[in-house]
Amino acid sequence: MDLHDRGSILSDATRVSLFALIISLALQGCGLIWDVAQFIRPVTGNDLESICERGRLHVGMAVEPLRPFVFPAVWTDEGRRVTGLDTELVREIATSLSKQCRGQPVAPVLRLVRFRDLFVELNEGKLDLFVSAVSANIPSPTRAGLAYSIPYFYDGGIIGITRRPEVAERVRVTLSKARQKQEDKLTSVQAALAGLSVAVQSGTSADVFASTHLKNATLVLCDSLPAAFESEDPAIDVILGKEPVLKFMVERVRRDWQPLVLERGKPLLWTREHYSVVTAEESYRLRGFINGVLFQLEESGRLAEIRRRWLEDVYAYPRRAASEGLPFAAEGVVQHYDQGQCRWAGPR
Amino acid sequence: MKIPAHRFLAAAVVWSMAWASAGLAAVTREEAEDTARLLAALLDAGRVVVDRNQALIDDPRKGQKGFTPEFFEGQVRSEFRERTAVDLGHLDPARVPPLARELLPSLVQASKEVVTDAQVVINQRGIEYKNFIPATFGSQAAARFSRKSSVRLKQTALQPRNPKNTPDAYETAVLRRLATQSSRSAPISELTDEGKTLRVVSPIYYTKDCLKCHGGQAGEFDISGYPKEGAREGELAGAISVTIPLDR
Repeated sequence: MDLHDRGSILSDATRVSLFALIISLALQGCGLIWDVAQFIRPVTGNDLESICERGRLHVGMAVEPLRPFVFPAVWTDEGRRVTGLDTELVREIATSLSKQCRGQPVAPVLRLVRFRDLFVELNEGKLDLFVSAVSANIPSPTRAGLAYSIPYFYDGGIIGITRRPEVAERVRVTLSKARQKQEDKLTSVQAALAGLSVAVQSGTSADVFASTHLKNATLVLCDSLPAAFESEDPAIDVILGKEPVLKFMVERVRRDWQPLVLERGKPLLWTREHYSVVTAEESYRLRGFINGVLFQLEESGRLAEIRRRWLEDVYAYPRRAASEGLPFAAEGVVQHYDQGQCRWAGPR
Repeated sequence: MKIPAHRFLAAAVVWSMAWASAGLAAVTREEAEDTARLLAALLDAGRVVVDRNQALIDDPRKGQKGFTPEFFEGQVRSEFRERTAVDLGHLDPARVPPLARELLPSLVQASKEVVTDAQVVINQRGIEYKNFIPATFGSQAAARFSRKSSVRLKQTALQPRNPKNTPDAYETAVLRRLATQSSRSAPISELTDEGKTLRVVSPIYYTKDCLKCHGGQAGEFDISGYPKEGAREGELAGAISVTIPLDR
């Protein structure tokens, strides 16, 4: 029996199944099966409808604390909860989606994963969207295939904090002198941090900034912000990170650290960033829908109220976690809960 | 299909016996009081174990804390035995009434489930305060237990931080009475609902450890962001309230 004869024995359906099986086996472990599925049946036109059909919105959030945007894994009288500004935003989006889906309730289903894995999981199709104080205006090769909504937070940016008063003083004096000489701010920041060990959370906008601009500093890459605070070897002189997050830390949690400031305590902001909801590039309808929701929230003043609640008000986050937090499944989190470590970046 | 009369009758007898033992057995006041006392002691033992391990749970430098459901259960059994002289591993019928023998293992199970669920929270590294404290443990354990039982277990206080722990009219009256007493009081037990229900309110008093969050300057915020109550050691903190229908 030759190959041609064998082909005639198999039905069309069997041949298609066999082909699909071979392809899927060939692509196992390559992370390409989703791509193939997308090629055959792209979700481009029906991303919103598929969310309506399943009644669930798969949302990714960082397992690392990005307070006040994400307070991950808080224990409450209701069980495990995630709360924070980003959680409140997710609630608003899910509520609007329920209306969009002709009253069919859409429940947000949270996946808590490492910040860097959010990008991977979205690309793999495990998430419809993710939020975690993600800077939308930071170009990075790791963010290919993703797209951002209009901003929901405009006053982000990178700042530095230190535990050593002499470092704070050195930065302040260096920048003051540079200002008098009318030197470029970035150049003077580079000079101020030269020789110091500067920690960033890998994959964040601070990582991108430090890798690009702080050539004279010794860069330390940390798996999370808590890891940077805890690191003794390598010892950390300065931590770079998101201004609202580090501000929350030094004001409420780690009062032994202080922000690097200019003269008269003026904040030293090194970038201007705005935070957005992240979707897959091809999720046009979902992104358009989210943009509409954010615009309405902004117009109505509700978004400003949400920002004020989390950034300015004094509050008990466990209480908010209990009353308005979102539950999450423990599966998939266990392997991520460890904050990880810090290591020298080496040449990049 | 015809069912033979003798089979039908046998089934009816078995059903009625099962029904009586499962749901309609009457409970004496004495048995209900003993059961309520033991349930309150067991819930409080769990709270004490959480409190005793609070530094470990809130250690930001440790990932796996070893505060597993099994570890917790071992400590609870020991604490409970010390308080009541009852061994949870061997519930002696001579000392423990039938209702308590039925319910104590359920509360142990509910408490362990809470600790199991909280593992992902407890074992976070880099986060100091996780809100896994005696009160939140107790609320969850009591709620889980009550969902599976006709007996209701609840933590309550005159000014609870958790609105769900707000006292009902009966609890409010008892708590007010307890708050005016200068010395520690034994559990208060009364029949309500025309004698059909037993209510037991077992007071909890502030200890030194509680004062980290509840003591100090009233209105000042504690680590979780709640305003402190300005409490002092030995003052009434709240109570564990047990409601047992006597006609079960």
